[in-house]
Amino acid sequence: MSASSEAIGTGIGAWFGHIADSLGGMGIGYRRSLRKSRTRTVILSIIIVLGLIYPVLHQQFLAEFSRNVFPLPLPDDTAMTFMMIFAIMAVGLNIVVGFAGLLDLGYVAFYAIGAYVAAFLASPHWAGLGINLTFLGNVGPGAQGVHLPFWLVIIVAVIVVATFGALLGAPTLRLRGDYLAIVTLGFGEIVPLVFKNLSSLTLSLTLGPIVIAVNNVNLTGGVQGINPIDPPFLPFFNILFDSRSGPLAVYLGIFLLAIAVVVARNLQFSRIGRSWMAIREDETAAQMMGVNTVRSKLLAFALGASLAGVAGSFQASYLGATTSDFFEFSTSILVLIMVILGGVGNVWGVIVGAIALTYIDKTFLPYLGQRVQDSPIPLPNPAQYNFLVYGIILLVMMRFRPQGFLPDRQREAELSVIGLADAEVAMGMPIDVDNVSIAPPGQDETGPGARGPETIDEARDL
Amino acid sequence: MTTDMTSPSETPVTAATPATTSSIPTMLTGNIDPAMMLVRSRGVTKKFGGLTAVNNVDFDIPRGSIVSLIGPNGAGKTTFFNMITGYYVPTAGEITFDDRPITTESKKKVRSKKPHEVTAMGIGRTFQNIRLFGAMSVLDNVRVGLNVHLGSHWWDSVLRTPKMLREEQAAIDEAMDLLRLVDLDKRSEWWARNLPYGDQRRLEIARALATRPKLLLLDEPTAGMNNSETREMTDFIRKLRSERGLTVLLIEHDMRVVMDISDRITVLDYGQVIAEGAPAEVRANPRVIEAYLGRGAAEA
Repeated sequence: MSASSEAIGTGIGAWFGHIADSLGGMGIGYRRSLRKSRTRTVILSIIIVLGLIYPVLHQQFLAEFSRNVFPLPLPDDTAMTFMMIFAIMAVGLNIVVGFAGLLDLGYVAFYAIGAYVAAFLASPHWAGLGINLTFLGNVGPGAQGVHLPFWLVIIVAVIVVATFGALLGAPTLRLRGDYLAIVTLGFGEIVPLVFKNLSSLTLSLTLGPIVIAVNNVNLTGGVQGINPIDPPFLPFFNILFDSRSGPLAVYLGIFLLAIAVVVARNLQFSRIGRSWMAIREDETAAQMMGVNTVRSKLLAFALGASLAGVAGSFQASYLGATTSDFFEFSTSILVLIMVILGGVGNVWGVIVGAIALTYIDKTFLPYLGQRVQDSPIPLPNPAQYNFLVYGIILLVMMRFRPQGFLPDRQREAELSVIGLADAEVAMGMPIDVDNVSIAPPGQDETGPGARGPETIDEARDL
Repeated sequence: MTTDMTSPSETPVTAATPATTSSIPTMLTGNIDPAMMLVRSRGVTKKFGGLTAVNNVDFDIPRGSIVSLIGPNGAGKTTFFNMITGYYVPTAGEITFDDRPITTESKKKVRSKKPHEVTAMGIGRTFQNIRLFGAMSVLDNVRVGLNVHLGSHWWDSVLRTPKMLREEQAAIDEAMDLLRLVDLDKRSEWWARNLPYGDQRRLEIARALATRPKLLLLDEPTAGMNNSETREMTDFIRKLRSERGLTVLLIEHDMRVVMDISDRITVLDYGQVIAEGAPAEVRANPRVIEAYLGRGAAEA
């Protein structure tokens, strides 16, 4: 080992030292990029600073201007908070789709579970069952139902959702490609339906000496959902982050997004991130180089899902209510479009994608709808055709910029015209078809434990 | 110990008919202590549907030797490779590596270690058609190979704990050492797919070495190379054996390479061992000539 590896000390002190170093490194990096491409860095900085002060500007001045002087399609607090919620989800889905290359069409299920965890842990819902527990919340002691503080709720949501991610992943991650997508699709349909229908549960189970009997218990609030849910609350400062708190909720969203970004980036540039990349590039070769592919994919699933849990519990707490209607299949697709549009694999790209699409969904189309309604000619309301608009945007993007707004360098290469296989042919490599006749697909008779090739190509490649 | 292998008098050639293939190991172990075998396989069979790709193969690899597996196309060489690495589960038979089982047979059911477990046991491999992670840097390709020896968890990565940072730095140092070994340290930031062909072959070996193998499986390492590149590669393989104490199992079609560097050669044809022994003996074996050139050539 070299001196550089010994330079890193041990313990918490070293850890904080490293954090300080990275912050210092950010400063150095900033100055370097300022030197390298001044205009770009300055413009980006201005955009970020404007974005950070925009919520306050909007509250103090722009909302008033837009209301009384001239109507502009400016995002309001709710729209901005949803931008952050969807950005967190996009960053999470990007771990699954972008880093590990697994297509997840049921991501909304984890969002829903996160929201219901918040509903179960911070609402009067359980008062009907006589369960009352209050701890450090914004409601006084002795309140009806369970009221845990938001920060604890988020942590529980992360754990619960990651567990569900692993539970879904364990039996399905041996599947590749399309099959996995279909299973996740089913999961995404089942979970909201379960929440919708578990409003009167009657059950009696006898397991030896244990008898579980419930009669007509309202578990999930059914179609009405659960409300009111306690808003996010910062104890000691007594700050509420609900839908009436204006920019505060946006800043809480930015804070949660920042954590999500740090988590995603740290994972991306680490041992596990390299495993994901290797699996995406060539699963068989990764396996042969010692990557435990099933475990890595399971981790991608669980970690990606946990960010949806954060987004879900934040959304439910922020709105103060949750119903299963929030969690439709279209939401899964929406988040996927955000990831593809922004740039699969690039954390910053998917955030841009999420902000852009949420802006169109929550601000621009309703604004257009308002203008259309005000106009004397009867026109269709564009707000009702939001998915048509996404479809058109996606088509245009796929035609002119398939790699997304801010593409990942590596992903872009995978999409490029000359793939690796072509390069091999171009180099005049002899193609030995040794195994084609030996392992025809579907004729492997080694039983369920076999890990034979699934395609002719794969058999040939080995 | 390696000099023993090269001495023809101590490794008798066996031109066995399929019915007597099981006698090879007895003859072999008569000369070499079983404990010196790094890989031992007994009765290994692999069937794909009605086709028997590998049929009842007994095959041992002495520690520290360079052993070649040759045979005509479709003889089952790569299938055998894939069973050693755990990618295929044999239909029957047992393989042990370093006195630990890779596959075990019990109650008519064969179980096999998974590929990543086999890699962790100490078997590294390259592929017939290069299978690098093309859009990853040369350095990262090698770091993926080091993965099995890293102990930090995902939460270490999320929190950037000192343990993880120290480990990553050590991994980078080790990877750079390996790249220096294959003369690719100057190109560590290149994408693997942009490397010239010969460099890609060497990078694949560096990646396999990163798994810290005791046994290195090379599937046609000189395919598509010109004479001087081939010579460099054979010298390099010899160097790996002498400097790192590696045992090497080679699949190769270039007979000059095979005859040049092998201590022992095993010939497969239609999934069966038809000959085994030192290069000179195998070359003179009529069954081998028949398998490669046809009956007429063998009689001529």
